[in-house]
Amino acid sequence: MSLSAPAAAGDPLLDVRTYAAELDAWLAGRPARLQVVAAPIPAFAARVKAMVELMAVLHDEAWSRYGWPAEVGGLGGSILHRAAMWEALARHGVPGMALFEHLEVLAPTLVAHGPRPFVAEALPEFLAGRQLWAQGFSEPGAGSDLASLRTTARRTDDGWVVNGRKIWTSWARYATWCLLLARTGTPQSRHRGLTAFVVDLRAPGVEVRPIEQANGTDELAEVAFDDVHVPTERIVGEVGGGWQVAMHILGHERGTFAWFRHCFLYQHLVDCLPQATADDDAALGNALLDLVAVTATSHVALQAHADDAPLGPLAAHPKLLLCAAEQAVYDWVLATEPDIAVDTSRDGYAVRRQEYLFSRIVTVYGGSQQMQLDTIAKQILRLP
Amino acid sequence: MTVTPVEIAGDEYVTVAARAMRTSDGVGALESLGWWDLLADLGEPDARTAVFAVFRAQGRELVSSPALGGLLAQPYLEAAGLEPGTVVATVPRASARGRPVLVAVGDVTDRMLLVDRPGEGATVAEPDAVGLRPVHLPGRLALHEVDIGRSRAAATVDEARARAARERSAFLGRVALALEIVGAAEGALALAIDHATHREQFGQPIGRFQAVRHLLAWARTDCVAIEAVARQAVTLDSAAPPRYGEVVKALAGRNGRRACERTLQVLGGIGFTTEHDHHHHHARVLALDALLGTSAALVPALGAWLRSTDADPGVASTMLLGGPLR
Repeated sequence: MSLSAPAAAGDPLLDVRTYAAELDAWLAGRPARLQVVAAPIPAFAARVKAMVELMAVLHDEAWSRYGWPAEVGGLGGSILHRAAMWEALARHGVPGMALFEHLEVLAPTLVAHGPRPFVAEALPEFLAGRQLWAQGFSEPGAGSDLASLRTTARRTDDGWVVNGRKIWTSWARYATWCLLLARTGTPQSRHRGLTAFVVDLRAPGVEVRPIEQANGTDELAEVAFDDVHVPTERIVGEVGGGWQVAMHILGHERGTFAWFRHCFLYQHLVDCLPQATADDDAALGNALLDLVAVTATSHVALQAHADDAPLGPLAAHPKLLLCAAEQAVYDWVLATEPDIAVDTSRDGYAVRRQEYLFSRIVTVYGGSQQMQLDTIAKQILRLP
Repeated sequence: MTVTPVEIAGDEYVTVAARAMRTSDGVGALESLGWWDLLADLGEPDARTAVFAVFRAQGRELVSSPALGGLLAQPYLEAAGLEPGTVVATVPRASARGRPVLVAVGDVTDRMLLVDRPGEGATVAEPDAVGLRPVHLPGRLALHEVDIGRSRAAATVDEARARAARERSAFLGRVALALEIVGAAEGALALAIDHATHREQFGQPIGRFQAVRHLLAWARTDCVAIEAVARQAVTLDSAAPPRYGEVVKALAGRNGRRACERTLQVLGGIGFTTEHDHHHHHARVLALDALLGTSAALVPALGAWLRSTDADPGVASTMLLGGPLR
């Protein structure tokens, strides 16, 4: 099959079903270039390097260009193509890569609201793993109450100047670009006075301090911005429209992202089946039910996105169900492999331990579980 | 009023079915909806959606009808040479008393009863000498234990043909029960939301307290999961992944019970009385969970199956592609 032919305007080269079948056949042939991710890599920096390599392979082979518009370097098609790619990679044992998952959180919003000429250059670099992205939302004083953030962007003659401090900034240590939410309105303007910018993390005045996490990974960082210049053409959405951009992103982080993440959880579960015993069958059955609930609810989110009808507050459901599934899967994994808690001699255990611990914190990122429940109570159930 | 549900899209089927059930009993509602005629067109997505909408509606409205038995009988009809509406299937239930019990749901007066015995084939009994012993439960569910006794056999289906129908019948029945469970749980949730909005303590509606709000948000999430999983089953139908009917039913039983426990907690003492309707919703969820495999039995059975087959059940790719990849 040749995928190098240019995409026809409009329709993708392959419909979802054909695409899925061809990708499946390619993966079944165990391409040599995928060997880079074949073994578990506990050292985080080395794992990121391998993931970047994998992104390059998938971009070269054109698989990861499906599902993105031709105007920004894609081959057309919809999010359903990307959903099929993730499902196939997971099923063929390619490890879940938080880095690549992060692309699914940010890139749809960049394509929808980002400055087109810039995104047309940046998206292919992102897809190919050459330039990674960070998400700069939370601040030391603004977590769940995101609208209280205090990092400022001030207008100057030739653009904007950013000052402030972000924390829990995913991938900042590895990223070239940061999608940053800053206050352009008055200190009291809450969510109405925010604007989203793309900030070059290589620019003078940016300082990135990685945060060593309790599970041994360090994709999070604290980032300081001291008089950082940002050109006007790096605004995402409208000036004062940062909240809408943030909600678009969080809609992905909570809804469609659940699809991508849960495909890998399925595979983690399947990988651990050989060690399983009948003692844990009920826990395994419950984990399966929780995963199926994510499949069905996140499929609704995918379909809504493909139909250009975002879920809004309804995205809180797949998000809550994903967290429940992730914890159910890892409760069962820990039961079947108690050695992951104490055995440091095997790389496979080290990675499982990281994943188990990460599953304990999934109820925090992307809007805490309590914020999701509040959203449902207020906006869906309309409680007083 | 005659309503033709196939002309209406999506969830409106449920609304229309619920309306029919508020103005009639279960048997009458099925007639006015043209439900028995739709059964013959289960292969058509719209008709199928309408057929299944009835179950969610009767769960919400706490109405009882012979729809479950009618749906369960459908895959046997051709082999038995019978028409839809004339026959309903009994549901076998393994009783704690140690003997299998046959159960019929809804008013089955004057209908033939199908009994399928794996290994022996199925028999359709004339209604003349069938014994029906009512099971008195809350939940406004007309439930009867069936004694076929000496009734005449109207038709028989040999084991080879019964086997072909059996799996399909169980799939349809389990999805229908899941939808009725979510309907009943949604009814319980509506009662609890109403209570949280009007009941005041500490000078304000209890629905303003985060502890109460979170219980209700979880109950809603439990219901959303059942609804989405069951809807996928209706959409995929015979293209559904292996054992998906059991997955749907297990999830519905588990989440349905959990949702009712959360809403009961919000309602407090009043929810634990017979004067309040909550106990009907809760009891119906429990009774439906007991049919065609309890969640308590299905959950470990599915775990054991997954463990011993050592394979991805293929749910994600099947849903995405509308059928198996290969």
